[in-house]
Amino acid sequence: MFFRILGKDLKRKRVMNVLLLLFVILSATFASASINNMVSVYGGIDYFFDKAGMPDFITLTMNSDGVNPTEDIVRNSVSVTSYQREDLFFYNAKNLKKDGKVYVDFENPGIVTSVSGARLTYFNGDNEEITEISPGHVYLGGLLNDPEKVHPGDVITLELSGRSREFIVDGYVKDALFGSPFLGNPRMLMNDGDYDYFLSDETIRSASCGCAYYINTDDGKALKKELTAVKNALFGESISTIKITYLLDMLTAVLMMVVGICLILISFAMLSFTIKFTLNEDFREIGVMKAVGLRNSSIRGLYLIKYLCIACVGAVIGYACSIPFAKLLLESVSRRILLGNDNYELIGLISAAAVVAVIVAFCYSCTKGIKKLSPVDAVRNGETGERFKKKSVLKLSKSRLPENLFLALNDVLSKPRQYVSMVVTFTMCILLVTMLANTSNTLMSEKLIFLFGTTESDAYYNSTEKIMETMGSDDPDILDHIIEDIEKELKDNGMPGKVHVELMYTLPVEFGNEKMNVIMQQCKDTQASEYKYITGSAPMYANEIAFTPQIIDELGARIGDRVLIEINGEKREFIITATMSSFNQVGKIGRLHEAVDVNVNDASSAMAFQIDFDDDPDAEEIDARIGRMKDIFDTDKIYNAADFVNMSTGSAQTMSDAKDLVLLIALIIAALVTVLMERSFISKETPEIALMKAIGFKTRSICAQHTLRFVVLTVICTCIASVLTVPLTRLISDRVFAIMGAQSGFEYEIRPLEIFAIYPLAVAGVVIVSALLTSLYIKSVRADAMGNIE
Amino acid sequence: MNKVIDVKDLCKTYVVNKKQNNVLRNVNFSVEEGEMVAIMGPSGSGKSTLLYTVSGMDKMTAGNVTFCGKELESLSDNEMADVRLEDMGFIFQQMYMMKNLTILDNIILPAVKSKRNKGNRSAVEKKGRALMKKLGIGETADNDINEVSGGQLQRACICRSMINDPKVIFADEPTGALNRTSSDEVMEEMVKLNNEGTTVMLVTHDAKVAAKCGRVLYIVDGNIRGEYKLGRFERSETLRDRERQLNNWLMEMGW
Ligand SMILES: Nc1ncnc2c1ncn2[C@@H]1O[C@H](COP(=O)(O)OP(=O)(O)O)[C@@H](O)[C@H]1O
Ligand SMILES: [Mg+2]
Repeated sequence: MFFRILGKDLKRKRVMNVLLLLFVILSATFASASINNMVSVYGGIDYFFDKAGMPDFITLTMNSDGVNPTEDIVRNSVSVTSYQREDLFFYNAKNLKKDGKVYVDFENPGIVTSVSGARLTYFNGDNEEITEISPGHVYLGGLLNDPEKVHPGDVITLELSGRSREFIVDGYVKDALFGSPFLGNPRMLMNDGDYDYFLSDETIRSASCGCAYYINTDDGKALKKELTAVKNALFGESISTIKITYLLDMLTAVLMMVVGICLILISFAMLSFTIKFTLNEDFREIGVMKAVGLRNSSIRGLYLIKYLCIACVGAVIGYACSIPFAKLLLESVSRRILLGNDNYELIGLISAAAVVAVIVAFCYSCTKGIKKLSPVDAVRNGETGERFKKKSVLKLSKSRLPENLFLALNDVLSKPRQYVSMVVTFTMCILLVTMLANTSNTLMSEKLIFLFGTTESDAYYNSTEKIMETMGSDDPDILDHIIEDIEKELKDNGMPGKVHVELMYTLPVEFGNEKMNVIMQQCKDTQASEYKYITGSAPMYANEIAFTPQIIDELGARIGDRVLIEINGEKREFIITATMSSFNQVGKIGRLHEAVDVNVNDASSAMAFQIDFDDDPDAEEIDARIGRMKDIFDTDKIYNAADFVNMSTGSAQTMSDAKDLVLLIALIIAALVTVLMERSFISKETPEIALMKAIGFKTRSICAQHTLRFVVLTVICTCIASVLTVPLTRLISDRVFAIMGAQSGFEYEIRPLEIFAIYPLAVAGVVIVSALLTSLYIKSVRADAMGNIE
Repeated sequence: MNKVIDVKDLCKTYVVNKKQNNVLRNVNFSVEEGEMVAIMGPSGSGKSTLLYTVSGMDKMTAGNVTFCGKELESLSDNEMADVRLEDMGFIFQQMYMMKNLTILDNIILPAVKSKRNKGNRSAVEKKGRALMKKLGIGETADNDINEVSGGQLQRACICRSMINDPKVIFADEPTGALNRTSSDEVMEEMVKLNNEGTTVMLVTHDAKVAAKCGRVLYIVDGNIRGEYKLGRFERSETLRDRERQLNNWLMEMGW
């Protein structure tokens, strides 16, 4: 008997049941995908490093004259517990050609590893371990992992010291060590035979070979000290520093985690709505069942079983859908990183099961009301306790609104609970997109320029060669000459201006027992007081200094304390006068007063040459001049302030890609939810629609009225989202920026047109169009259908 | 006299589970302006279906209905909607109302919709309240629909059907869900309405109700089996007599 009623119910209320099933599928998909992605992202870089077999410390050295200088040091070091050596040879960007032309640009040497010489585990795009590569094929990593430059299947040529070989690109390699674009040593992974072909050349063997040492240690500090004896070290970093190079990818991943949380909220909002909605629908039947003498428990059991069946079917389908959906969400982040978890299936199934449990729990709590209802209550209006409340909020007789708008508005206002889930969903959709947009816009705006420890200039000219020239020379005046040359060139071309450049020095800093190497920034042509500080006052004298809070905390110092810094072999005392925010070195940096006599030849790196034109040109003129300067200096690397920030943060593009993806997903969700909701409304309100038709409403005006409800909703959502977007962006992105190094002192770039108009309108547009198209179904409701409750 | 309704060879067939159910078979009749016609017949004989098809609430299968000079099957959905709005009122057996409007708002809804009253909502409200007062439910105007009795609700439905001064009012067992007293009150209103010139066509299974009508059609198995002319009901003293005449006739018809 039980199952007969159930079967009949499933068949007779087909539309509502199908809608319920669709909602369950959607919720299960969101929940499984999001929870899985959250676990994947949470495991994050540690998961990747663990799978790749990353050690505690890595050093990359170059053989000098074919002799490996590192082996002895590493083998005899007391602080090394174990190590592995990976042989490799180096190449430069100009050695790599596609269609006969150099196609990428990077400064540091790239490295080539053979498959069998590999000591880390390398993964391909499908997260599978790369164990073999056919002859004539390669995998590309790091900076070369760029779909805009080269695609799998393309042919590239490696020419080195007269040896040349063509390779078919098999795909991209996820390289834990050099995967981040911030470590400029892109790796190429090839077959042993191809590797040996290059290595059989005498010049390559003596001049281009080296090794990577993967070292495990029990005393990192001691190891670092011992390794300072290695002469030709290109790179020597602990795993924690390498982790930091993936920060920007992780930030996007974290933002996708926020997206996941929102999707879960959306899915539960939808579930609670659908269940209440379909149950309300059934109160007439519940009344009849009570009237013929069924017990409360068996009526309740009937519904529990019905929802359990639908939930199980929906959860299974939803779980299947969640796998591609989860992949799609993390696509932009997982290009370089192996993101994942070992328990994908298990977690997916648990989340799907959780959805089932939530549905049954919702159903259980919603059917509590059955007990209280008398049969007559239930039959009379098919509605629960709601009907004892005042329903009509507005008065048609007192209102000046057009009747369709009035009916729409009154409907939304008098049944707010029915619309809560939609308000939540649409608001969340708008918020997700606007929050990501705010963050990525900020990461591309000149408002952040100070976080790179630079003053705001008209143009930024990145020239690694000129900096290398400075660092490689013994002439202390060389930088001044270079700057004079640039200034002269500018003047000769009719755009006179001043040029200066920020240099970085790695200096040992001591405070009490703490001792650490700190990168210090200095520019001799500006004044330390021209930069932004969070607390304290700018260094005014040569013995004053500013640090980021991260450095001060690590030293255990405070403003006013004195630190010892070794400069030119001599220990000097400096007073900390200020703290500042910076993205440079992930916030581990300090600033020297301009009068400190560090030697430019000792600089470890530099920012761009900054150009300030004498005549204060406007933005348009600056861009025109940048175009001309690119010709004059024969380079692409001249930027305006905003582009310089964008280029330097590097993540803005990933984030903006992620934003586009999220926008697309948000629009699809909004459309889907709207269609399902409107279809539910039509089903539920069939009697009322029929009544309106009977008293002479045209189909067109009922459709308009239904669509207007969604207009009202989107207006409400836009208002809520507009109020929340800035504080929520702060809440989330402050943490993002803090991870990047800047703990405070920055402003967000809020583009009102985008945030308060374009994105809300896009969501609203999709909602309204979907609602309108769905509402056309009203046409098929007949005027005498009042008694027919589907 | 003007024919407001002219029905020719009206057929209505429902198809349920692939089985045809010919509910109306070649029904012919007409209604003159100002008449009050009752339709009677056994349950399931097709009374409601007749009322729905004649009023255009439902599509007919075959035949021809002329309503106020318009052939219903030739009207577009929008024209049909206008006819419903302006020319007819319909009272259902179940008191269907918009759940989230007050009684008054339910009543004036068609008037607000009507182009005649564009931008004149206060006049519409006044008219609505006046109608409610006239039907004795003035004090319930601002109540929600679940805060009034069935009789009051049915009278509100009558108010709604009257608000646009329609030419014809259809009523499907308007008293079916009411007790004797409420039923009498409602019928009194219908008669009054008819006396003021509105054509009324109602379905009932209550001889007391039908006795107040000028003419009674008796329908069996989708056919009009007979017709009884009582003449206009003017003086309440004659009611007993009319009822007896009608009952005798109904007995003959097999009631
Ligand atoms: N929507 C419908 N679908 C199928 N059959 C219907 C429908 N409405 C009514 N009928 C059938 O038409 C016949 C007449 O119904 P109805 O006109 O409601 O009778 P009544 O005279 O009691 O008002 C009944 O046999 C009923 O089963
Ligand atoms: Mg009937």
